[in-house]
Parts: sequence; structure tokens; C-alpha cells
Amino acid sequence: MRVFRFLARRLLYSLVVLLGVLVVVFALVHLVPGDPVRIALGTRYSPEAYQALRSASGLDRPIVEQFVGYVGSALSGNLGVSFRNGEPVTVTLLDRLPATLSLAAAAIVIGLLISVPAGTWAALHQGRASDAIVRVATQFGVSIPDFWMGILLIELFATTLRWLPTSGYAPLISDPTGWLRHVILPGSTVGLVAAAIMTRYIRSAVLDVASMGYVRTARSKGLPPRVVTIRHILRNALIPVLTITGIQLATILGGVIVVEVVFAWPGLGRLVYTAVAARDYSLIQGAVLLIAALFLLINLIVDVLYSVADPRIRLS
Amino acid sequence: MTVDTYDRRASWRLALRNPLTLISAVILAVIVLAALTADRIAPYGVNKIDVPNALQPPSGAHLFGTDELGRDIFSRVLVGAHASLEVAAASVTFAFFVGVTLGVVAGYRGGWLDMVLMRVIDVMFAFPVLLLALAIVAVLSPGSTTTILAIGIVYTPIFARVARASTLSVRIEPFVAVSRTLGTGNVLILRRHILPNIASPVIVQTSLSLAFAILSEAALSFLGLGLQPPEPSWGRMLFDAQGFVHLAWWMSVFPGLAIFVTALAFNLLGDGVRDVLDPKQRTLLDARRKR
Amino acid sequence: MRRHELVVAVVVVLILSGCSTGQRVDLGDAASGTLVAAIAGEPDQLDPQKTSAHFSFEILENVFDTLVEPDENLEMRPALAKSWDISDDQLTWTFHLRTGVTFQDGSPFSANDVVYSYRRIIDQQLAPAYRFNAVTDISAPDPATVVIRVKQPTPNLLVDIGGFKGMAIVQRKNVESGAIATHPIGTGPFAFKSATSGDSISLVANKNYWGPAPVVSGVTFRFIPEASTALSALQAGEIDWTDSVPTQRVDELRGDDSITLGVTPSNDYWYQALNEARKPWNDVRVRQAVAYGIDRQAIVQATSYGTAVANQLAIPKGNPWYVDYQRYSRNLETAKTLLGQAGVKDLTMDLLATSDYPETVTAAQIVTDNLAPLGITAKIRTVDFATWLDEQNNGHFDMLMMGWLGNIDPNDFYYAQHHTGGKSNAQKFSNPQVDALLDAGRIETNREKRLDDYTKAATIIADQVSYLYLYNPSVIQAWNKRLSGYDVRRDGAVRFGTAKLN
Repeated sequence: MRVFRFLARRLLYSLVVLLGVLVVVFALVHLVPGDPVRIALGTRYSPEAYQALRSASGLDRPIVEQFVGYVGSALSGNLGVSFRNGEPVTVTLLDRLPATLSLAAAAIVIGLLISVPAGTWAALHQGRASDAIVRVATQFGVSIPDFWMGILLIELFATTLRWLPTSGYAPLISDPTGWLRHVILPGSTVGLVAAAIMTRYIRSAVLDVASMGYVRTARSKGLPPRVVTIRHILRNALIPVLTITGIQLATILGGVIVVEVVFAWPGLGRLVYTAVAARDYSLIQGAVLLIAALFLLINLIVDVLYSVADPRIRLS
Repeated sequence: MTVDTYDRRASWRLALRNPLTLISAVILAVIVLAALTADRIAPYGVNKIDVPNALQPPSGAHLFGTDELGRDIFSRVLVGAHASLEVAAASVTFAFFVGVTLGVVAGYRGGWLDMVLMRVIDVMFAFPVLLLALAIVAVLSPGSTTTILAIGIVYTPIFARVARASTLSVRIEPFVAVSRTLGTGNVLILRRHILPNIASPVIVQTSLSLAFAILSEAALSFLGLGLQPPEPSWGRMLFDAQGFVHLAWWMSVFPGLAIFVTALAFNLLGDGVRDVLDPKQRTLLDARRKR
Repeated sequence: MRRHELVVAVVVVLILSGCSTGQRVDLGDAASGTLVAAIAGEPDQLDPQKTSAHFSFEILENVFDTLVEPDENLEMRPALAKSWDISDDQLTWTFHLRTGVTFQDGSPFSANDVVYSYRRIIDQQLAPAYRFNAVTDISAPDPATVVIRVKQPTPNLLVDIGGFKGMAIVQRKNVESGAIATHPIGTGPFAFKSATSGDSISLVANKNYWGPAPVVSGVTFRFIPEASTALSALQAGEIDWTDSVPTQRVDELRGDDSITLGVTPSNDYWYQALNEARKPWNDVRVRQAVAYGIDRQAIVQATSYGTAVANQLAIPKGNPWYVDYQRYSRNLETAKTLLGQAGVKDLTMDLLATSDYPETVTAAQIVTDNLAPLGITAKIRTVDFATWLDEQNNGHFDMLMMGWLGNIDPNDFYYAQHHTGGKSNAQKFSNPQVDALLDAGRIETNREKRLDDYTKAATIIADQVSYLYLYNPSVIQAWNKRLSGYDVRRDGAVRFGTAKLN
């Protein structure tokens, strides 16, 4: 039952970090110079609206009580109301979450489609020109500003060639074809950068596995190289691949902001952007909390998977 | 793994033998030089508006063409280099000093101080980079100071982790234990043993972080939340170029290229140096660093 | 599924989907025949009597009605009122309402709703309240009649109550429940259906509309802030209509066969204003120095690419009340002399612009450049529109730029903005001569005398630089070939009631 002890320890640790996250997120609203409610109401200020918003956000109570209240409500799903239109934050967040999730999923798929073959190929040709090309290409991918790539992709594929729409969104469930057409460009923008990172990682993972004993044995057994590759190497590199996929997924969650803005993709990232522009502090708070919590959750799952695969880590 | 002074110098020379690293070092030198002399070598004023000459393609008079207000893009890219590099350098310096201090203290002291500091660092790691930077800018209002602060804060954890990891690996070395038994002061130990050892990975991280700081500042300025007009900034130039992509491709290509080349050069340099120091560094930690 | 089979499947789907370019994308609306319109921003709220945002009115134009409304030539015609009489002494207006009209929730419309709507504006002093300044009484002697009494002859009463949707007839229940801000109920051709924050607002056709029932089953307004994105979406058939057409692309679009471009001179005007509640902008010589310092042509060119008409007053050419005024041109010597006379130098200026209207940011940069040689250092502050409104109303600015939507009557061009204490007089201009002229022009029934009053008033307003008028933009909208039964209007009102999708 060492596994459960480990899992429990990991979970407890994550909860501690989550508490820290809650403190930071809570502090955000209180660090605003000036009165956040007043700023947000702007021209729609009226004493009634001001009072209503203030008490709905709990800002009229002492700080410690506010924090406890905030944590309590947050954990039960109540993240307050938007300063801009009074709608419950949780509802707005859940409204936008599927769009971001589907974009992240598409990006990961595209990333894997590129990085798994590329990383494997580079590893198997280590030291040769093709390996160097892949390594330089990954450096390019990591250094390119994603919004720049997005703008250029739109110009090429949408405006000039008219193959794809320039922006917008169709929900996956109700309109899969429309979703697919709309997700290709933004998904590729995020996916190509993710691919660059994942390729390097997969390359080194495959290198590690390829040098292991049983692969040498398989090769000396006279098995054709392709069989050796697919059967042994990939199967054993699968866990690291899953790991990097998880890490990238988490990273993408925070990194989609700019791409969502460029492509008018109505997800969490674009929501954060418009909330920041509108000084809607409670919405910013809620969105940051949700994304950070998802980030933590995915990292937790990744760590667990990794430790399941590698007993050495578990026991440390 | 300890690398003492003699090896380090040899490492640099070795690193520069790699053609990619050499090229990136040269490119960086050119960019930094251009940024420092930007005000003097820019052919036109950065805000020299000349509406009749708006949207001109690249030509002899305007190397990179003109924008929608007739401003010379080449001059703006040059001065933008100054702005972007300044922000990147300032924020990474902040992250460097705060992060390395935290990391060394945590790694050297150990115990509950280490635990507390590392939990704080973990909390900061729980936020995606751009998201936290956006939130900080939202609270404090956009501008260059806020941008530097936001990016600096967001990159502190990685320096802390790198510094701590190296400190830990040295602390357990026998000669350190011996020094302590002999009663050598902590400061001396730090100076003679710890700091030289953490220098290499931290330097590598600095180069990588500079690359990402350039990208982060560009993203923030693109969203309108970083450097404010009329201060020229590559990211902001891309934002302005969006309405003219079809009409004036040069408005989006050149600033984007500038961001790309600068970030690439920092990345290649950092990677080249790291390859020389430890080619086997392809761990989970490494993957997590690349944000 | 093995990896390579997955790859093949994805490629096939990609190819198949790539072959269907130009196809409409259904945004989840179950009914086909929904018109998709793209506007550049999201409404701040949907209460027509409280909002002042252009984006709100674009949508509310289709949801609400007024007693009378302007036709394509901006002449007032019957709407909720089918006819009206004026008493011989010109002080009593009697409106005869249509019968059988219902609100979109089925409840009946009557004269009481008109009285309630107008009283609400007056009692709560909402933004359009000044339009009732001459009104002394509003009553409903029977459910189909509304009587409005005025204290002096008011030639432009029809324009006042019907010129724009701020005077919309609202439903008491909808207002008192507070729902009107997010779920408005009106009598217009389209009813509010749903809103997705940050994405779109959907309207559905009102089958019980008192006028000809709409042909399209609904309208979805999508918010696409980037003009070039909206345009590309239009060209790709993603959307049917947009008014965020970047002016720099108008020339190119005229040659595009796949879309119809509607360009018409409008009654809108763009201006800059200096805050006279702050020193040194309270000194007319300083303001005039700025007026001589800026390069109007550059601003007009850079913000409209030849689609606007420069104008140093508000009323556009082609409008019968137009006055030709050409006093200012860029003259740094005169400007410096004026500054010297005022005894000021080395000024800083807080220049307020808003990211929601990019022309203000563009112009701000030009102004900064223009004023530098005069020793005026302008600092541009760019905020979102809601914040901009706040800053303007609280007087937190030195200079700003904005536009007002098309008006019809000269009173609407000048009164609220330049009369002492006017509801829209954020620059705090106050001139007793102008006040007297504006007050007189309001009640003057003799057209020639009226024109004279407004000519004099406008001249003083421009001489004293209450506003620095810049230009009259054109209304520019674009729609795809499927859309018929729609045309641009000079007042920029967006009405889809007669639109048809082929």
C-alpha cells in the first residue's frame, strides 16, 4: 500500500499548494489601488448597485472573514458575480470552458501527430544531419511568438487562399464539422509550438529507451528494425509521452490567451483578456483560480502517472 | 557535478565551437549593439508621423516600409529593440537576484525554511506564466514598470528551483562538510564552493529566461497591457499591424521577425552552453522549464 | 485504432472539410435562415433609455419602437403612432396609436406604456431627458391616445421623440423587475432570445409584429472586435453583414464581387474637445492655439482613408442646415503667438483615447506629434470605452476625441453638447450668447430665422473651440450577396426587419 501512502502525500501536498493559490487569487482583488467595485461600475454607478455588488462580493466584511468566506464559497462553486454584468462568475466560466478544452485537445492532437514521429525519427538518427534539422526546427518552434504565427496563418490560409475561416467557433458537440474547420488554424498555432517542446522531450525519451538492454537484445535477435522500433521502444516510451502530453496540456491552458484573442475563440483565455480590459476583478479572480486549479490537477495526474511508471520516484 | 574555474572557461570556448551557438552569439551582439545605439542610428524619428507617406512598401528610403501613420518601421524596430531588451533584462535581473537568493538560502539552510520557501515557489509555479503576468498587470495598470515587475515575479520560481537544485548537489559534497567542521564561515563556503557551482546552470537559465521574457513582453504589449503607445514595442507594432496585414505585409513581418530572431538567438545560445555543460540534462525538470 | 489509421482518418476529414469553403456556419441556432451580423463590440447593457453605447443601439434598433420613426430620407413617419394632430396654438400634440399591438411577451401595448416610458426618462433624468425640456405634460386620455403638451411651439418634437431609440417605448413590468438591462422586451420586429457573454446576442423574429413580419427567422449579433477578422469572415460566408469595415480597405472592397458595400455620407461627426474645467484649457487663446496646431488633413486621411469629409462644424454638407466655416488651418506661428498671449508654455496634456474606437488612438498619436513643436507634451491614455465614458463624465481628461451619431435637427447637433449645463457638455463650455441663440433656435418656427440662429451659434462654438470639429464620416457597411431587402441609412440605424436571405 506504499502507492496509496504516496498518492495521499501527493494529494495533501497539492491541497496545500491550492490553498496558496487561493491566497494569491484572493489578494488580487485587494491589491487594486482604488475601489474595485466603484471602478468596475463606472458610468452605471448608483448607490444601490454599488451596495449590492459590494455585499455580493463580500467586500464589506473584515479581511480574514472575507478570505474564509471566499474559500468556502469557492469550494462549493460560488465564485461571486461579475462586476460588469452581475452574472454569476461560475456560470460564465463553465460557459467558456468547453471552448478552451476543445482547443487544447486539438492542439495536443496536432502536437502529438508531429512530435511523436519527429522525435522518434530524430532519436533513431541521432548525431546525423536529420537529427540536427529536427533539433533546430524545435528551437524555431519554441522561439516563435504564437500570435505572430497566428496572424500569418490567418493571412495565408484564410484571407488569401480562403481554405479556412479566419476566426470564430462552432461547438464540437452540435457542429463537429464546423468545429473542425474553425479549430484547425488556432489549434495548429498552439499545436506547432507544443510540438516543438514535445519533440525534444520525446527524442530524449526514445534515446533513453533505445539504449536500454532489452532493445539491444531484440536487435541482436535479428528482428527487423521496424518491429524493434514499434514494439519495444514506443511501448516503453509511452509513459514519458503521456507525461509530456499532460505537462503540455497544462501549459497550453495558460498559454491560449493570446491565440484565443487573435482567432476570436470564445474560451477562458479570451474571457480573461476581456475581463482585464474591463477591470472586472471578480471575473479575473475566478478565471485565474479555475485555470490554476486545472493546472494543478493536471500536474498532479502527471506526477501520479510518472510515479506509477517509475518505482524509483515513488519511493523517494 | 562541480565545475571549477578552469573548466568553465574551457566550456565557453567549446560552446562557441558549435556553429549554431556562435551564430546566435554574434546575432545577439548585433541586436544588443543596435538597441544601445538605436537612438543614434535610427534614420527617422520613432514618432515622426508622415501621413501622406503611409503604408509604403520597403524601399531605399524606408528599409522596412512605413506604417499606417507614415512612420518608418525600421527605426521603430530599432528603438523597439531597446525597449524590449530593457524590459527583458530588467525583469530577468529581478528574477535572477530574487530567485537565486531564495534558492540558495533554501538549499543551503535546509530544514523548515527550505520547506516553506519551496511551497511558496510551488504556489507560484501553479500559475501559467502569461496568466499571472496578466493578472498582475490588471491590478497595477499597464506600463513598463508593471510589465517588468510582472515578468520578473513570474520568472523568479524557475531561478529559485535551478539555484536550489545546484546548491543541494554541492552541499552534500564532502569538502563542504569538511569546511564546516573546520569552522569556515558560511559566507566563505558560499563564495568559494556553492556560487561557482551554481553559476553554470543559472547562466544557462538566464539565457533561456531572456528568450521567454522577450516573448512574454511581446505578448503583453500585443494585448495592449504591456508597453503603452507611443513607446514603440515590437508586440504593440504587431497589434497595430493586424488591420493592415493584407494591405501592408511589412508591418507584420518585420516586428515579428525581430521578436523571433531575438528569442531564437537567446534560446540557441542557452542551449549551446547547456549542451557543453551537461548533455544528459533531458529530465522532467527540463521539460517543465520550457514555458 | 492504430496511429497511422488515425492519421489517415484525420487527413480525410480535413480534406472533406476543406472542400466546403464558403459555407455558412451554423452557430447552434436550430432555425436556418438566421441572419448573422458582426459588430465590433459588446453592449454594456440593453436598456435603451439608459445605455449610450453604439453597440447597444445597433441591436436595440430591432427590438424596440418609438412613436414615430425616420424613413430612408430621415423624414418622420408613423410607427407606434399611426397619426397625429397639432392644436392651432402649436402647444398640444395628440397622437393616435395603433391598436392591437403587443409586446414581445404577448402583453398588450397601450397609451399607458407610452406615458410610463416618457415619465421614466423625465423623472429619473435619464440621458435623453433633455429632449423633453419643452414638454409640460404627457397624458393618456384613452388607451389609444397620447397627448403631449409643450410650453412653447416645438417644431422638432417628432424628431425628439422618434429620432433615435433612446426614446423607445418600454414595458413597465420589464423595467420594474430589472430584467430590461439583460432581457429587454419591446414591440419591435425582433425579440431578444439569448446572450452569450463575450460572443453574441441572438434575436428571434416577432411573429406578432404590428408591421410586416420579418422574413428571416432571427438575427444573431456576433461581437468581433477586429475589423479585419470580421471582414474576412464576411468574405468567407461566415457572417452575412458587418459594419466594422476598416476604412483602409474600402477601395479594395469596392472591387470585390462577393460582397455588397454600402457607403453613404452620414450625419455623424467626429470632434475633439478640451476640458475647460482645467487650467490652462479654460483660456480660449490656448484652445485656439491647439486648433491652429493640429493637422486636420492628416487626421482625416489616417482615420478614414478618403471616406470622410473634413468639416469644421458639425452639420454635414447636403443637410439643409449646413454652414460653411473654414477658419482654422495648421499654422504654428499663429498658435505660438496665441500661447504667448495667454502666457503659458511647456504644457502637458492628458489625451484620452479608447481602444474600442481605434480612430481615437490613431488621431491621438497624430495630435501628439502635431503639438510637440508648440511645447505641448501630450500623454496618450488608452482605456476601454466604459472606462472612457466614466473618465469623460468625471472630467478626468485634458483632451479627448469622440464621435456623435447622426442627427437630423440642428438642435440635436448643438444643444446638449454646448449649452451651459447641457447633458452632454463634458467639456464644460459656457457662453451666454450661445445659450441665448440655442434657446431661441429651439422654438423658432420661421426657417430662415432659425438657420440664422444656428449659424451664429455654430460660428461662436467653433471660434471659441468648444469642440474642435474634424469630419463627417461615411456610414460604411458590408453584406454578402445573399442578403437583400437591406440598405445603409444616413443615420446609421441598422434595421433588419425587411431583410431577406436568399
